[in-house]
Amino acid sequence: MIEMEDRTTTHPEPREPEDPPTRTRQFQLVDGAEIVGAAVSAAALTWLLFSAVAWNGAFGAVLIWYVAFIVIYRSIAQAVHGHLVATDRVMTVVLATGASLAFIPLVMIIIFVVTKGLKYLNIAFFTDTLESVGPQDKGGGAFHSIVGTLEQVGLAAAVAIPLAIMTAIYLNEVKGPMARGVRFVIDSMSGLPSIVAGLFVYSFWVVELGKGFSGFAGSMALIVLFIPTVTRASEEMLRIVPDSLREASLALGAPQWKTVLRVVLPNAKSGLISAAILGTARAIGETAPMVLTVLGSSALNWNVFDKNQDDLPLFILKLIRSPNDAQIARAWTGALVLVMLVLVLFTLARVLGRDRRKADR
Amino acid sequence: MNVDLTDLRTELSRDPGGPTADLIAAEMADAHAATSARPASALVADSVSAWFGSRKVLERVSLAMRPNEVTALIGPSGCGKSTFLRILNRMHELVPSASLSGTVTLDGVDIYGPQLRVTETRLKIGMVFQKPNPFPTMSIEENVLSGLKLSGSKSTIDKRQLVESSLRRAGLWEEVKTRLNALGGALSGGQQQRLCIARALAVSPDVLLMDEPCSALDPMSTRIIEETMRELVQQVTIVIVTHNMQQAARVSDQCAFFLVEKMEEPGRVVEAGATAQLFGSPRDQRTADYIQGRFG
Repeated sequence: MIEMEDRTTTHPEPREPEDPPTRTRQFQLVDGAEIVGAAVSAAALTWLLFSAVAWNGAFGAVLIWYVAFIVIYRSIAQAVHGHLVATDRVMTVVLATGASLAFIPLVMIIIFVVTKGLKYLNIAFFTDTLESVGPQDKGGGAFHSIVGTLEQVGLAAAVAIPLAIMTAIYLNEVKGPMARGVRFVIDSMSGLPSIVAGLFVYSFWVVELGKGFSGFAGSMALIVLFIPTVTRASEEMLRIVPDSLREASLALGAPQWKTVLRVVLPNAKSGLISAAILGTARAIGETAPMVLTVLGSSALNWNVFDKNQDDLPLFILKLIRSPNDAQIARAWTGALVLVMLVLVLFTLARVLGRDRRKADR
Repeated sequence: MNVDLTDLRTELSRDPGGPTADLIAAEMADAHAATSARPASALVADSVSAWFGSRKVLERVSLAMRPNEVTALIGPSGCGKSTFLRILNRMHELVPSASLSGTVTLDGVDIYGPQLRVTETRLKIGMVFQKPNPFPTMSIEENVLSGLKLSGSKSTIDKRQLVESSLRRAGLWEEVKTRLNALGGALSGGQQQRLCIARALAVSPDVLLMDEPCSALDPMSTRIIEETMRELVQQVTIVIVTHNMQQAARVSDQCAFFLVEKMEEPGRVVEAGATAQLFGSPRDQRTADYIQGRFG
C-alpha cells in the first residue's frame, strides 16, 4: 500500500545521483532522440496500415503519420518526463508544425518566382516594350508596364497618403463631431472588394463621363482602396504616441495644431512612413480594378491621363494566359520584378522608419 | 517676508559646505542675471469646484498662492489635489467630461476670462508632470527651446544663453553641457525631470505648477530638485502637489491639506496656512492625524 502511493507520487528518476538543475523547457540530445524515435515508429505504423488495408494517397499517409507521431511522442514524453513536460513538448511540436506550414508556401512562392522569372531578367526587360515583338523574338520587355505601374501607383499614393494621414489626425487628434461617422465609413471601405472599386470607376468615369480608359482611372480605383488601409494603420500609430507628450506640449502654451505638427507627428513618424509604404506595396499588386480601368497595352504610354496604359499585374495576366512558352516566361519575369518592387518598398519602410538619431549618440 | 524665508531655509539646513554649494551660488547669480529680479505673481483660486461628468471631485476650494512662496498641496490619493492643480493652468478642461465653477486669477486677471487666451494662460503658468516627459524626438537643447517654438513666442534673448540659463536654473547644466545635442530620452529619470523643469522655465512663466515631480525619482535627484525649487521661488511662484510629508515640510512656505471625508464626496481643503504652523501645531485634528501618518 505504502509502496503503491510512493510510485504514484515519485517524480521521474534523476539521471544523476545529485540534484541536477532542470528546466521544464530544457532540450537535450535525448529529447531529440525521442522525437526521432516517435517519428520513425509513426512512419512504421503508417506503412503497416497502408500495406494491410491497401490504402494509398500521399496526403492521407502524411496526415495519419502526423497524428500517429503526436500520439506516440506524447506517450513517450509522458512516460519519461511526466504529464506537465509531455504537454509542453507536444504543444511546442504542434505550434512549430503550424509555423513551418505557414512558412512553406511563402518560401515556395519566392523560389518558384525566382527560378521561373530569371530566364528573361535582363537589361532588355527593363528597356523594351512588347510592341512589335514577336512571341519568339529575343528581347521584349516590360518597360511600358513598369512605367504604368509607377505612374498609377505613384499618383494614387500622392493623393491618398496625405488624405489618409489627415483623416487619421482628424480621428485621433481633433476627435471632431464627425469622427464616428468617418470611422464607420473607413471601416466599411476597408472591406470593399477591389473589383467593386474598379467597377465603380469604370461605370462612372470610363463609361458614364466618357473619359475612357486611362492610368488615372486606375489611380482613382487605387485611391479608394488605399485610403482606408493607410488611415487605419496611421490611426494606430498616432494612438501609441503617449498622451503625456501632448499634455507637455499643451502645458507649454502650444495651440493644438502645433502640438500635432511638432510633437505628435514627429513621434509617430516612423510608424506613419511604414503605414504609407505598406499601403503602397498592397496597391502595387492590385489587378482586378486595373482590368476595368487601365485596360492594358503592349505599347509605351507616358501619359497617365489619356488612353489605356499597362502595368505589371496586367502584363502578367495577359502573358501568362498566352499559349506560348516565351510569353509565359516573360510573365514570370514580370512577377519577379513585381516582387522585387515590393521588396524594395518594404526595405525602404524599414530604413526610413528607423530613427536616424539613436537614443545615445 | 525675506527674513522669514531665510529663517526657514536655515531651518531646513541643507549642508552649506557640500560640493554643490558653490555651484548653486553660481547658478543663482546666473539666474538673477537672466531674469533681473522680476517680481513673482500671485495666483488666487476662489471657491473652485470641479466635476468629472456628474461626479463632483472638488468642493469650493479657495486658496491664495502667494508670490515668491512655495505652496504645497498635500492629502491622500484621490482627494482632488491634482485636479485642483490642473485647474490652475486650464489643463483640467482637456478631459472631455470635465467642468468647473469658481474663479482663478493671476495678478488679478481671471485666467478663464476673455482677457487671456488659453495658450497665454499656459505660457504664464507652466507645469511639470509626475512622470518626466521630455520630447523623445528632440535633443536636450531642442527640448529646452521647445516652449518657444511651440507657443510661437519670440525670445529677445540669445538662444544659446537661454538654454544655458534655463538648464542652470534647473540644476542640470553641469551634467549635460557637453552633450546638448543628445536626445532627451538618453538622460536618467532624475535628469529628465530637471530637463522638463528647464523646459518649463525657458518660457519664463510667472507660476510653476509641479504635480508630484519627485515621485518617480531617487532620493538624490529629489534632493537636487528640491534645492532647485528653493532657488526658483525667488523669481516664480511655485505650487507643488506631493504625497511626501517630509518634502512638503522641507520645501514649502504655505501648505494646504486636501481631504475626502467620506466615499463619493468631493475633496475639500481642511486646513491651509504657513507650513511651520500646519506641521507644528495643526488646528484641525484630521490634519494632525494625516501629518503624523495615522491614515492616508
